[in-house]
Amino acid sequence: MATFLEQVETIRQAALAELGQAADLAALEQARVNHLGVNGQFTSLMKQLGALPKEEKPAAGKLINQAKVELEKILGEKRADLELKASLPKEPTDFTLPGRRRTLGKLHPLTQVTEDIVRSFRKLGFVVADGPEIEDEYHCFDALNTPADHPARDSQDTFYLAAPAPAPNAAPGTPKRQLLRTHTSSVQIRVMKKQAPPVRIIVPGRVYRRDNADATHNPTFHQIEGLYVDRNVTVGDLKGTVDFVFRELLGADVKLRFRPHYFSYTEPSYEIDFTSPLVRKMGKDWLEIAGCGMVHPQVFENVGYDPEVWTGWAFGFGIERIAMIRYGINDIRLFYENDVRFLKQF
Amino acid sequence: MKVTLNWLKNYVDFDWSPEELKERLTLLGLEVEGMGKIGGDFEGVVVAQVITCEKHPNADKLTVCRVNDGQGERQIVCGAKNFQAGDKVPLALPGCTLAGPAGSPPFTIKVGKIRGVDSYGMMCSPKELGLAEDASGLMLLPADARVGQGFAAFLGRAGNDVVYDLEVTPNRPDLNSVIGIAREISALTGNPLKLPGITLPAGAGRVQEAVGVRIEDEEACPRYTARLIRGVKVGPSPDWLKQSLEKVGLRSISNVVDVTNYVMLECGQPLHAFDYHLLQPQAAQALPTIVIRRAGEGEKFTTLDNQERQLTSQMLVIADECRAIALAGVMGGQNSEINEKTVDVLLESAAFKPQSIRATSKKLELRSDASYRFERGSDIGICDWASQRAAQLILETAGGQLAEGVVDAFPRPPQSKEITLRFARTDQLLGVAIPAAEQAGYLRKLELAVVREEASSVTVRVPTWRVDLKREADLIEEVGRLYGVDKIPSTAPKCSAGANEFDAVHDQYAEVRRLLAGLGLDETQGQTLLPETGARLTGKDLVCLQNPLSSDMNVLRPSLLPGLLDALQRNLNRKNGDLALFELGRVFLPGAHGPREGRRLALALTGSRSPLFWTGTEREARLDLHDLKGLIEEFFEQIGIRGVNYVRRAEPTSLYLESAEIQLGKYLLGELGWLQPALARKLDLRDSGLLAELDLDLLLARRNPEKSFKALPAFPSIRRDVAMLVPEEVTHDAVLKLVKQARLQSLETVSLFDVFRGQNVPAGQKSLAYAFIYRHAERTLTDQEVNEAHNRLVEQFKQQLHATVRE
Repeated sequence: MATFLEQVETIRQAALAELGQAADLAALEQARVNHLGVNGQFTSLMKQLGALPKEEKPAAGKLINQAKVELEKILGEKRADLELKASLPKEPTDFTLPGRRRTLGKLHPLTQVTEDIVRSFRKLGFVVADGPEIEDEYHCFDALNTPADHPARDSQDTFYLAAPAPAPNAAPGTPKRQLLRTHTSSVQIRVMKKQAPPVRIIVPGRVYRRDNADATHNPTFHQIEGLYVDRNVTVGDLKGTVDFVFRELLGADVKLRFRPHYFSYTEPSYEIDFTSPLVRKMGKDWLEIAGCGMVHPQVFENVGYDPEVWTGWAFGFGIERIAMIRYGINDIRLFYENDVRFLKQF
Repeated sequence: MKVTLNWLKNYVDFDWSPEELKERLTLLGLEVEGMGKIGGDFEGVVVAQVITCEKHPNADKLTVCRVNDGQGERQIVCGAKNFQAGDKVPLALPGCTLAGPAGSPPFTIKVGKIRGVDSYGMMCSPKELGLAEDASGLMLLPADARVGQGFAAFLGRAGNDVVYDLEVTPNRPDLNSVIGIAREISALTGNPLKLPGITLPAGAGRVQEAVGVRIEDEEACPRYTARLIRGVKVGPSPDWLKQSLEKVGLRSISNVVDVTNYVMLECGQPLHAFDYHLLQPQAAQALPTIVIRRAGEGEKFTTLDNQERQLTSQMLVIADECRAIALAGVMGGQNSEINEKTVDVLLESAAFKPQSIRATSKKLELRSDASYRFERGSDIGICDWASQRAAQLILETAGGQLAEGVVDAFPRPPQSKEITLRFARTDQLLGVAIPAAEQAGYLRKLELAVVREEASSVTVRVPTWRVDLKREADLIEEVGRLYGVDKIPSTAPKCSAGANEFDAVHDQYAEVRRLLAGLGLDETQGQTLLPETGARLTGKDLVCLQNPLSSDMNVLRPSLLPGLLDALQRNLNRKNGDLALFELGRVFLPGAHGPREGRRLALALTGSRSPLFWTGTEREARLDLHDLKGLIEEFFEQIGIRGVNYVRRAEPTSLYLESAEIQLGKYLLGELGWLQPALARKLDLRDSGLLAELDLDLLLARRNPEKSFKALPAFPSIRRDVAMLVPEEVTHDAVLKLVKQARLQSLETVSLFDVFRGQNVPAGQKSLAYAFIYRHAERTLTDQEVNEAHNRLVEQFKQQLHATVRE
């Protein structure tokens, strides 16, 4: 006949097996009742303890307690496992169902393109500068060597503010009509008037022209301007920098062409055309993309730089145009309609 | 400016192909905006006659024809049905390229087999020739068409030529002429410029005895020449003259008028011809006199286009002693124009001040080829040459007899200008070494007379036609142009650090945008220019435009919200119902010292809280104010703004049904609220609209983005929850204030986890439930300590907030 200690071990083994096999919480509860409950096997073992000889009691009691503690621990672990399992769906998971999405917002394509341009220039040591959008004729035209009767100043082409208020530091007798800047070049003047050369800035920002909105025009659009003034700056430097930036922006396979042109604030002046497989796919040889040139000596004189000492270049281009070329967007108005189906594409 | 290849070739030799010329002109700075072949379209197409016509052995719908092309017979397979033997048709010979219908690429005719039968060309429909849309059958030609004749000639079209449409930059008025462009080609090729030789007959009767010239405003009219040709016969122009004009888009009028236009196109000098007998002298026997004067204020004058115009005293007119006869430099007058009865022609060739012509032309909204040229600056030196050239051509085309000499009123011939070019300066600016002799050579080729040449510099005299050359930089540009900008080597970008205080601000804007995109909002870009009605909704003062394009865009935005509302509406109209948008941009407000510009950040939400999903109770949830506020709170925390108060406004505004100011200490940082339902309805919102706007300048100035490490807690925390009924007007903020006042040292956080109204909550009350977390930094708190502190707090709630705490 098995000893009492052997009986305890047998019941312990049976209890362990039953707990281990319990497939759900109900089976686990049944196992608990069978072994650890009020009428369970261990309870009855405890009752039999009294009948044992006195010298055997401590060892037997200890063994029963150890087994009980062990079983309680396993029961707890097993219960936690089964509870977790019970909280999961019972059906098999359809992994092809759409997930519960969290949507990220999108930056406006003009912001993205602007940031890309800024990043390229920053690699070359340029920093971002800024200026007001409400300008005066001096910064927007006069200082940039624009003739007094130049058509760009017409109220046909430029927005003027109603009821002009005199600027606090206006020189007496100079009427300074307030207008919405027609180009970011006005910031060149503000920066050069404020700081001594060398200058390396880029200026992204909104500009305004009095054009009715159509597929290629919007009265509000964005430009980015680059200005570099130092000793011995050349057309070669201008070409090198423009090459670098446009390759970064539009891909290494673009080809640029400089074409003599006219701007009042640069001399010599050029327009920049580019071509790429994409341009040729559009059925064109070249696409005009930017204007540039060497800062006109008159502009340097206007801001108090000595043109004999300093030379520099400036260039500017439309951000919308770059974005349109890059993404194949065919209507500039889309940028300002803010249709989320458009915004989400970039 | 339009010019044709053949016309250019009259003045300078070059052997470039039409495409090459386009490239060369473009790289000289004369951008070719358009290029078109004239008359060459039908090269290889002839008039042919069908001799026989038989069914194709292998195809029911095709016929095999024998056709006479004028040289011989050839076999053609044809799909058309509308012809029979004997008909005359256009035949495209192998090798010929047809432009094809608009929108499709050109195609070249080849010899080939069609269903096993050889075909040596193609008989054409009107559509295949690009003449009409009709593609139903062959183009049938009249019976008298001459077999073998070139099709272009059959149509009566002129011979081959190429017309270029050039963009002339405003600084180069000299390029608004064929000779000006030829001069550029001459400079580039080194081939001489061949100006037409002029030999005028001696003339009979001095012109001075027939007409006088009096300039009353020498500033506005620095030169005026007059010639007289008597006894002309006004009539149609000869073909060469007519075609020269028509090729570049001018209408032929009569021989005399056409000559003036031809010479203008040729040399850039606008001319005008008057009927001499329509000049009214002061008295019957007096000498007719041309007077160049300012118009009288309100003077009425009928221009050639049959419009009566009211002049101002700023405008310059050409007059006789009695009345105006032309609007100087802009357009002639009806009262003196050349007509079929004209016998004596007075020819004007003058120079006018560009600003004067521009002002007149603009004021009257009257533009002409003459005003276009004068307002850009004409060549004062060419007046007499142009007059002689025109006189010669009038004599050739309209006959007549020239009066001897010219009346040339030229009171103050301008001093010729000299500019010095330092060769080293060219190299320094262009970044390439161009030998001195080469530099000087370029200037010579442009007909700049060299006054002085030294080892290091050259001084040139600027010809009268180059009004753009003012200083050294302008000469450097000329050298660079002829040298070729494509030959200037690119140099690797030089790197050094720039400096500008805005650079850091730019990054802050980028950070703000990235945070909001990360929070799930899409960035928009709204219009700066708004309709006044929309902008008024914001309740702000406005900066107005003096010359708006329309009333839809007449003020500058005082806030970004109208633009966002616009974006909401447009999206909702297009059934994009779930929107979370933001914009970062400038606003404009009037100020004591003129308009002020500021940067704002605005948010707008409407629609579903989360993307479409297929299960769960939350999936129907709509965005509400607390979504908006949660975004703002998270944004503030990330950007480093703390201690913000939300103060509810007592009254609705025109924009908001219910709103709050966002206060940061004594500053107003922004606002947020529920959009007015009436507005929402107008914008077609199906759900509530939520708006917020923040003063970004203030926000960035007040932010504290500094971060420092705090040790992680080493001891456990104890949580106590409180659920209490409080009167409706007790705000969450009031609860927090009270908690703060209690100054419980071990209180770590307090969080609201339930707000409830309804069952078991008396009307006018709400139930708030808070979790309080207590922790000590240096030891484990005892239950007793926590209970003591917590009970004090609960006691405060009861006393100060009249709270009923649910135990």
